Amino acid sequence: MKDSTPARFIFNKNLDARFLDELFDGDAAYAQIVFEDFLRDLPDYWKDVETAYEKQDLNGIRTSIHKCKTLFGYVGFSDIQQLCQEFENSCSGKAIAALESGYQMLVNRKEEARDIIESEYDRLKIFNAADS
Amino acid sequence: MKITSIIVEDIKIAADFLKKFCDKSGLIEVKGHFENVAGALAYLDDDQVDLIFLDIEMPGATGFDLLDSLTYSPKIILTTSKTEYAFDAFQYNVSDYLKKPFTYNRFLESLQKIVKLVPQADPYPLAQAVGTVSPAPSPASMDMDFLFIKSEDKLVKLVKDDIFFIESMRDYVKFVTSVKNYVTYSTLKALEEKLNGSAFLKVHRSFIVNINKIDDIRGNTIYLKGNRIPIGKGHKDELARRLNIL
Repeated sequence: MKDSTPARFIFNKNLDARFLDELFDGDAAYAQIVFEDFLRDLPDYWKDVETAYEKQDLNGIRTSIHKCKTLFGYVGFSDIQQLCQEFENSCSGKAIAALESGYQMLVNRKEEARDIIESEYDRLKIFNAADS
Repeated sequence: MKITSIIVEDIKIAADFLKKFCDKSGLIEVKGHFENVAGALAYLDDDQVDLIFLDIEMPGATGFDLLDSLTYSPKIILTTSKTEYAFDAFQYNVSDYLKKPFTYNRFLESLQKIVKLVPQADPYPLAQAVGTVSPAPSPASMDMDFLFIKSEDKLVKLVKDDIFFIESMRDYVKFVTSVKNYVTYSTLKALEEKLNGSAFLKVHRSFIVNINKIDDIRGNTIYLKGNRIPIGKGHKDELARRLNIL
């Protein structure tokens, strides 16, 4: 007998799949839109982080990282969200030099995250095209 | 009637999720989305809404600046990705605090608080969404402050506020009111649905009471205008919640 249960998109293991399943509640089409928005918005948000970092503007770094943190949360990067939070906290009362290793770590994680979401976005497009 | 709202949020994904959840609930009408406090305040100068979904950290002014500038008191749900603001939120007496990102279920929990606070809100769509009500109560029974019952050969109008309690008598129920008692053919279950969302609460398998009329409670007994009503074991928690016990 053929299984008539609709297929469910399985998120990448690097993402908080349990949270994403609850957030999207099986709506893979909406997940595709959100992942697309993430890929569109992240470069702009990150540009603000870079600009503030170059200017050694601690308050600017803090507020721009805060925006990126929220964005990472909506695509299931709970761990990067936590890293952003720690970095945001460390912007208060520290010299810019003390932030360097944390900043570099975030840059690396941001690159990895973008690659993962690009790949997930492609998979979602295929999944949704097959489903329609 | 839907609860009117605006969203003040500078992150598009977050605002889009909120709009989607509002639409899905069937309870909230989003009148506008603003990416900063200035835009929201300009809108609120001309139009008042029941509820504001408010981010805290935004470019320029913060959500707390908006709260300081308000000239009336809409309900506020703060939406932020930082838990550190919880204490400030408490001081501003906001209705709820949603940590982003949040799921639809968490959003519904928040709405349940709002529905209780906004007088014109229709709680039925929310009750459906969270699965607490199955049959649809008639809109009239939710809004009116009276009901008609069949007693003897006529329909008698009972003002809800005059009812002390309702007692089950197998296939009949007895309304004990400030004026007199009436017996009519009905069940407590049917009445619970009719009185949903008002001051009435089932406290025992055989009794629904008007909580505004309770004089005091001793042990498992409610004392109400000279009557003693037992409190059923399974009804204690809900009674405590509704009575706002300190």
